[in-house]
Amino acid sequence: MITNWLPEPSLSAAILATFLPFVAFLLIMVFTRRYPRLSAGLSIGAVSISLISAIFLLARHWHPQTPLEYTGQWLISGDINIPYGYLLDQVSLLMLTVVAGISFLVQVYSLGYMSGDTGFSRYYAFMSLFAWAMMNLTLSPTMLQLYVFWELVGLSSYLLIGFWYEKFSASEAGKKAFVMTRFGDIALFLGILLVLVHLGNLNILELNSPRVSSQMSAARITAAALLIFGGIIGKSAQFPLLTWLPDAMEGPTPVSALLHSATMVAAGVFLFARLFPFFSLSATAMTIFLAIGTISMLLASTMAMVSRDIKQVWAYSTISQLGFMIMGLAAGSYFAGVFHLTTHAGFKALLFLCSGVFIHAYESNDVFEISRQGGRRLKIPTVCVVIAAAALAGLPPLSGFFSKELILGALAELKNPVWLAAGLLGAFLTAYYAFRLIFIILFPRESSSEPDANHAQDHVHGGYWQMAWPLMVLATVTVLLGFFQGALEDFFKESLSAQAAHGGHPAWLPFVAFSCAACGVLLAWVEFGRRSADRVGFVEKIAPLNNLFAERWYIDHFYRRFLDIFIYGMVSNMLTQNDKKIIDGGIDGLSKATVETGRFVSFLNNGMVQYRLLTIFVVMVLLGIYFFF
Amino acid sequence: MTIYSIIFYLLAVLILVTTALAVTRRDLVHAVIYLIFSFFGSAMLFYLFGAPLLAVLEVIIYAGAIMVLFLFIVMMLRIGKSAVRLFPLSQWLPAAVGGLIYIAIGIGLIAADPNSHIVLKTARADPAVFGRYIFEKHWLSIEIVSVLLLVAVIGVLLLARRSPRHPAGQTIEGEL
Amino acid sequence: MIVPFYHVLILAGLLFLMGISCMVVRRSLIMILLGVEIMLNAASIILVGASLLWQNLDGQAIVMFIFAIAATEVSVGLALIVWAYRRTGSVDPGDFNILK
Repeated sequence: MITNWLPEPSLSAAILATFLPFVAFLLIMVFTRRYPRLSAGLSIGAVSISLISAIFLLARHWHPQTPLEYTGQWLISGDINIPYGYLLDQVSLLMLTVVAGISFLVQVYSLGYMSGDTGFSRYYAFMSLFAWAMMNLTLSPTMLQLYVFWELVGLSSYLLIGFWYEKFSASEAGKKAFVMTRFGDIALFLGILLVLVHLGNLNILELNSPRVSSQMSAARITAAALLIFGGIIGKSAQFPLLTWLPDAMEGPTPVSALLHSATMVAAGVFLFARLFPFFSLSATAMTIFLAIGTISMLLASTMAMVSRDIKQVWAYSTISQLGFMIMGLAAGSYFAGVFHLTTHAGFKALLFLCSGVFIHAYESNDVFEISRQGGRRLKIPTVCVVIAAAALAGLPPLSGFFSKELILGALAELKNPVWLAAGLLGAFLTAYYAFRLIFIILFPRESSSEPDANHAQDHVHGGYWQMAWPLMVLATVTVLLGFFQGALEDFFKESLSAQAAHGGHPAWLPFVAFSCAACGVLLAWVEFGRRSADRVGFVEKIAPLNNLFAERWYIDHFYRRFLDIFIYGMVSNMLTQNDKKIIDGGIDGLSKATVETGRFVSFLNNGMVQYRLLTIFVVMVLLGIYFFF
Repeated sequence: MTIYSIIFYLLAVLILVTTALAVTRRDLVHAVIYLIFSFFGSAMLFYLFGAPLLAVLEVIIYAGAIMVLFLFIVMMLRIGKSAVRLFPLSQWLPAAVGGLIYIAIGIGLIAADPNSHIVLKTARADPAVFGRYIFEKHWLSIEIVSVLLLVAVIGVLLLARRSPRHPAGQTIEGEL
Repeated sequence: MIVPFYHVLILAGLLFLMGISCMVVRRSLIMILLGVEIMLNAASIILVGASLLWQNLDGQAIVMFIFAIAATEVSVGLALIVWAYRRTGSVDPGDFNILK
């Protein structure tokens, strides 16, 4: 039981890891809001202890064994028993380490990035809140606890996106993110309810066991899987709920790095991996997931090709890569999806953090602006961004290459070759848009004037090293992580026993993948990097395509029209009319009736004798009624 | 349908019609005259119901004295036609509503009483017998009524006295 | 055999109603008194009819006293009306509204 946690080092480590950030959040919000450096210190301290605990747990449970579960009594109602606690198995420990590590690095980075901001303490409080919620989410043993922390993660995302709430667009973006993910969460909750009703409990280990297929019919399993995937669509910004993520870039760049690239949006993929055996029971659901992942991946890649805002490009890229991960998982390869999740967390966070340095220095999100002002003079961010983009594009020997190749291998094993073709096309497009950005920054067109450069260097110096060394750490991880693939595979071997081993993908695959990526890089070089290039992409030359991609395939427009017509036009209108006419009208009518009655009765006091006589007779009649009936 | 019932219905119609007319006339003198007819009808009704003394007394006292007194006062005060609209809506609407409720309840009450279906039989109270009855059974009330009449006479004399501040020449009565 | 008693009741009821309406609706003090007279008349009809129903002379005795009292009341009432007319110059009850 959870009460005797002291003698169990794993449990105490888990509790420390997950609970301390919450303590930090409370302390900051209540006591230390006026002391920014103290708040930052509290938050970073808490998350560093979490990181140490996570590494400790990972090391302790490195050799595969059965999942470890610690639970205490929480909800008991009749037959339903939903405990709370911690579930320590391979994917949760790996995810915990990833989350703790990137949180720690981002919080250190924020010391430099957010210094001088008036909401500094509030920022660190929300960061701690997010860390608490995300870590508990990864360690949840039941779907209900996971849902609670899922919502909390959404809440902290809303708070952090709308951090600069004085800016209207930021608060709008926060609202949009929250409402859109809410739609997904409705589906998720319905799926949870469906599972609860038919299975009797929400324990994740129970859900993943083979007993489920005997207790729930295939149709119900498919329905529950689809509904739960609805939540994943919302949280991981897949088609059709993908437009909130580019708008979420209104938040500070470290927030984008932490939440909207590496951890929160990856929670959806994490859930997929968590319930992978459950989802595998339904082949139709897996095919649908594959389709949705493919569509999202291709759609977002096209949108990234025409964007000028540096953060938006990486946002679209996140959507695309999440789709890619979902493709890998839905194709049947558990390890491929999880490995890509891990490597993506590393290089995407690195990309955002480097962009953050540029934005902080040049106060502009626009790529052309940054390059014109001499972006490439900042040495460390430039080197790191090139490394990260190469990893994104899948160039060897970086980590991205290994994880992408695994996913393409899983796609190749499917019977239908269209998925593999889509994956290769996605790889090509990814390389193209990533390096388009890199070449724009690396090779500025107009010569920058000297005062700009000096100004930039002065501006950066203050927090430069606080922002720089997390970049270097992440870059190192990106370079090296690929070589740990074997070790991680062994780590996951226990949970792979039910799945077919991934070996046996065709030998030509790595070469084809590499050539696709190289073609993308080459095209980008031709268009952007060469000295005589005109720096306009091939897509941008085709105006209708350009508009289509730039307007996010008109999905936002569709949502806006839908909202305006149905929700605001009909539902809000109906409710407003109801409020004004019926409720207000009723109460106004009541008061009016009272006034009129008073006016009517007041004639009795007119002083006129005959009215009083009439009153006498009326009362006599009434008395007659009373006495005789 | 005996002759008596026919007489009764005729008298009832007479009473109701003349009373209705009396209520709705503008000219007060006309109203009083119609009411005198109504009282004549009542007197005949009393005779039909076997109270000849009361019938005669009604004609003498009610129609003869009281209504004539009304006429005196109407003519003395020179109250002519009432100028304004006779039944302003604000007055007769609540009265109408009250009246309808009254009729409804009245009919309900009447129908509920089993005794009301008994048919009246003709009888006659001889005046001598009636007089004896009253003086034997209700002698106290007679004494009290006499005192009452005395008090009324004194009261009326007091009320009708001209106040000393208004000399005779300036009041209407002075001219009569 | 004259009529069933409820006919008399209806007659008197209608008469009473007319008396009430005369009293309440007409805008003249004299008509108020007239209404009182009509109502008293209606009551007398009922009483006489009832005494015929129960073959009891008490009803008629009451009617006798009603006559006496009606006479009294009319004389006093009219004296009051004259006095009021002298004071205010009008017999409209709407003008006597000092109690408003």
